[in-house]
Amino acid sequence: MSTSSRRRLRPDRIKELSLFGLIALSVVVFGSVVEGYLSGRFFNRVTTSVVVVVILAVAQSLVIVSRNIDLSVGSIVGVSAYLTADFLQSNAGANPVLAVVIAMAVGAALGAFNGAIVAYGGVPAIIVTLGTLALFRTLVSLYSGGANVTADVLPDWVIELNASTLVSAGGFDLRTTFLVAIGVVVVFQWVLARMRWGRRLYAIGSNPDAAAQAGIPARRLILLSYIGTGSLAGLAGFMFMVRVGTISATAGSGLELESVAAAVVGGVSILGGAGTILGAFLGALLIDTLRLSLVRVPQVSEFWRDAVLGILVLLAVIADSLLSRRLSGRVVDVSAVESATSSTATAVKGAADA
Amino acid sequence: MRSWIRSHRWESLLALILIATIVGNTIMAPVYLGVGNIVNLFWLSIEKIIVAVAMAFVIINGEIDLSVASVMGFSAAVLATLHENAVVPFGIAIIIALVVAALAGLIQGLAVTKLGIPSLVVTLAGLIGFRGAARVLLEDGSVGDFPEWFDRLGQRTLVGPLPFGLILFLVLLALGWFVLERTAFGRKVYVTGNNPAVAKYSGINVEWLKLRLLVMSAVVAGVAGILFAARLGSVRGSLAEFYELDIITMVLLGGVSIFGGSGSMLGVALAMFTVLNIRNGMGLANVDGIIQTGVVGTLLIGSALVPNVIQRFRVRFPTVGRYEPDAAEP
Amino acid sequence: MTSKRVWIKRLAFLSVVAMLVAACGGSDNDTTTTAAQDSPATTAATETTAATETTAATETTAATETTAATETTAAATGVVTISPAESIPTTFLPKCTNIPVFPQANDGAVEAAGELGSEEAAFVGPADCGDATGQIDFMANAVTQGVAAIMVSNNAGDELAPSAQAAADAGIPVVSWDSPIPSAEGESVFIAQVDFDETGTVMADMALEILGEDGGQFAVLSATPEAANQNAWIAAMEEVLAGPDYADLDLVDTVYGNDVAEDSLNQALALVDSYPDLELIMAPTTVGIVAAAQALTQEGLCDEVKVSGLGLPDEMREYTLSGCAPQFALWSFQDLGYLAYYVAYGLATGQIEAVEGQSFVAGRMGEYTIEADPTRDAGLRVLMGPFSVYDETNVGG
Repeated sequence: MSTSSRRRLRPDRIKELSLFGLIALSVVVFGSVVEGYLSGRFFNRVTTSVVVVVILAVAQSLVIVSRNIDLSVGSIVGVSAYLTADFLQSNAGANPVLAVVIAMAVGAALGAFNGAIVAYGGVPAIIVTLGTLALFRTLVSLYSGGANVTADVLPDWVIELNASTLVSAGGFDLRTTFLVAIGVVVVFQWVLARMRWGRRLYAIGSNPDAAAQAGIPARRLILLSYIGTGSLAGLAGFMFMVRVGTISATAGSGLELESVAAAVVGGVSILGGAGTILGAFLGALLIDTLRLSLVRVPQVSEFWRDAVLGILVLLAVIADSLLSRRLSGRVVDVSAVESATSSTATAVKGAADA
Repeated sequence: MRSWIRSHRWESLLALILIATIVGNTIMAPVYLGVGNIVNLFWLSIEKIIVAVAMAFVIINGEIDLSVASVMGFSAAVLATLHENAVVPFGIAIIIALVVAALAGLIQGLAVTKLGIPSLVVTLAGLIGFRGAARVLLEDGSVGDFPEWFDRLGQRTLVGPLPFGLILFLVLLALGWFVLERTAFGRKVYVTGNNPAVAKYSGINVEWLKLRLLVMSAVVAGVAGILFAARLGSVRGSLAEFYELDIITMVLLGGVSIFGGSGSMLGVALAMFTVLNIRNGMGLANVDGIIQTGVVGTLLIGSALVPNVIQRFRVRFPTVGRYEPDAAEP
Repeated sequence: MTSKRVWIKRLAFLSVVAMLVAACGGSDNDTTTTAAQDSPATTAATETTAATETTAATETTAATETTAATETTAAATGVVTISPAESIPTTFLPKCTNIPVFPQANDGAVEAAGELGSEEAAFVGPADCGDATGQIDFMANAVTQGVAAIMVSNNAGDELAPSAQAAADAGIPVVSWDSPIPSAEGESVFIAQVDFDETGTVMADMALEILGEDGGQFAVLSATPEAANQNAWIAAMEEVLAGPDYADLDLVDTVYGNDVAEDSLNQALALVDSYPDLELIMAPTTVGIVAAAQALTQEGLCDEVKVSGLGLPDEMREYTLSGCAPQFALWSFQDLGYLAYYVAYGLATGQIEAVEGQSFVAGRMGEYTIEADPTRDAGLRVLMGPFSVYDETNVGG
């Protein structure tokens, strides 16, 4: 590997370490303030509630690194959760794996729709996914006819899956759902960092023109990334169904913003070309840990939680932007210009070194 | 006329869609053409379209402001809290609420210009944070009991069949169009959105411009929030939640490029009217709200996709179709 | 730019504005002409609304006056059997269309419409139950459509009052059911499924029975913060809790799940986290009670924390049989919708008036009388019927 790629990895490692440090710090701080905080119960609470957002943060990162975005993930979650739940309602004896496959297939199909229009239709991602956010929601609304799927008609294993544990140690459970989320993180971290497919996505995000001139099949890759995002969102929909049980036509609304926030806090730059899956995972974990920790501090009313979260997101991106500026170096040193062109400059320098 | 249509393809397309929508609505529900309904059509979404005028400036400038709905809620919450505790006279409270909105815009603007953080991210944080701030002020309750004149201004008509909010919107729209397309300031907005580097080296103070626009966007959101409070008669922490998506959709549908540098107020106005007409017509035909949004979403994608497809088709088969004097594509 | 292009652009822009202004230029003549061209059904509706306008005027004045039992108009004598007259268009506007109870209520309205020979009400509403102000748009549309009556379960608190008043001003009776307009502005009458004060007692009693003699901590998981019915019930319950019998019960918090499943689930878990000594979650909403029961079952906390409140037997059956939700209560939403439609129909066709003392027979449900609502400062109500309290013996299976 060339030196430039090594240099590009280091800032990410630092970001990940600092995120991990922040999580550890907040655990320590809250642990001293709140009694019973460092317990298995809290650990289980965080690990179960974070599953859907983690998977969605990974999904979102896939497209953000290539300088795109997917605002329709919330709707994809809703569609796949509803269709899977509906399927299970009519086929109670179905294999659980089949249900997962259905959920992911639905998500992949929707993701392919997004990807095709973004990659081959030449429409900016934000416009497409803003439209499909509404369109997919309409599909599930029409399909459902306004009816809910309630938890009681789902097979028992759905409820059991949420509580099922693979490893347990003194109250600290490693729930199956959490392990699936971890698995997703590991797999995609490896894919994005090590496989050629993943590295090319970074290149497209850093400098689309240079990537095109280097012969990277951008359109195909972007389509694939959207299919990946869609499949993961479908998986998240399955997890959502397992956790919430009652699925309505509006299930999953608002998750898209959460996924973007988690990715952004995790150091995935919205301008593309930077950030890691591991970072996104840590970002989601940090946000959820803080949110659930604040719940346990009775002095902090629930209404402060969102305000604190907004400040957190802002601080995280400020820190991230200062950090990446210092570490990646700049060719052009004009303050007014850099906000629009810093990522290009980095890529130019990086490409020149390669 | 023909050259106008050619150079304003998007607006012409929108005008056609608008006419089709009006015709469709009239067929579906004849009551649609009544005075009260036309007023309602705008009035029920008046806050959104007011903010959309400001959002057009921001997006043409190459930025985006996701926090507008939360700033609406926050400034309305400030107003309500001041009123509830009778700290200052109501008129002063309105001014304070607007100042607070300006400060919100200032904070975000500084983060964008001084710290160089993309506006998408800053205003995302703002979206979360200011909504939270509104909830901190109002918790789960609602505050109402505003002065009689305030409620009347928000709920009753002022001049003829037009309520105050609608008059305000028309004034803002006309003003926005004039500033954007007839003044030097408007030209600066376009140039900066098109290419900030070129703008900077042409002597435009890019930072100051972006800052002003983000502050303006927040202030307009504040005005809309206060107007909403008058229209509803009370304020909750969840006021205008998720409105930003609709607002941005209208602006993008209006032909404003998400990358900045192009678009027109006419297009935005046509897009607004189209979306409102669609919603109103479908509402009168008792079509579900989600389906209405889906139609708007499809329109958004289609309006961006179809011209691209036609363009590609024309590149492939340049001699097929209509006469085009400058047919040689690079 | 050439002046010609500028001129054309301005013309295009102005023509759009002109569309708006020109529509304003048309006076009420336009609306009456359009009405006259409509089909006979709608013409009948406009005639009926004109007829009920005089009665509507007296209705609203009677509704806004407090008590004043002496103020009875001539129509309030005798029991009127609401019978089929004509087919009228109406709007059935629940809080949202997603929760099962509201299609059930609509089934009742459909049943009533069939018996009265009227067209089915248009079942419309926000899809998202957390969307509190969404009903305002539907109310305004209903007025524009010129329906004969609007039946609404109010999710928007007093924010719905201006649009309800606008409907009343247009001669359209607004009948609220399940959840009233707190100030009663614009509302003709409220069909109360149960007495709201009694709801407080029922909830307090269920809490007492579940928590036992030594009492304990419990919390309320409600719907949206602006839901008039839930707020009234909670307020009533708090009053009852002040009594000596309930001294050992400690209501620690009230949180809002917005009638959205995932929000309610998260709120239930948050309650359990925030209050380690919590023993009961009282959820006076069918969405919240299921979500809370689900949350506790998932976390295996059903031994420590119980769930109660208002729920549908079909949804709560497994939780009751498992012991997680030993007791809960409800009423028939279908009956509620049925009764609401009858009353709305009676008002719209002029068979009854919304005044105190008006008695009527509403199909299979029997005789009712409009009375002043004792649970609010203003407003009239029709009290439907008793609670059904469910436990493992009668929850079915």
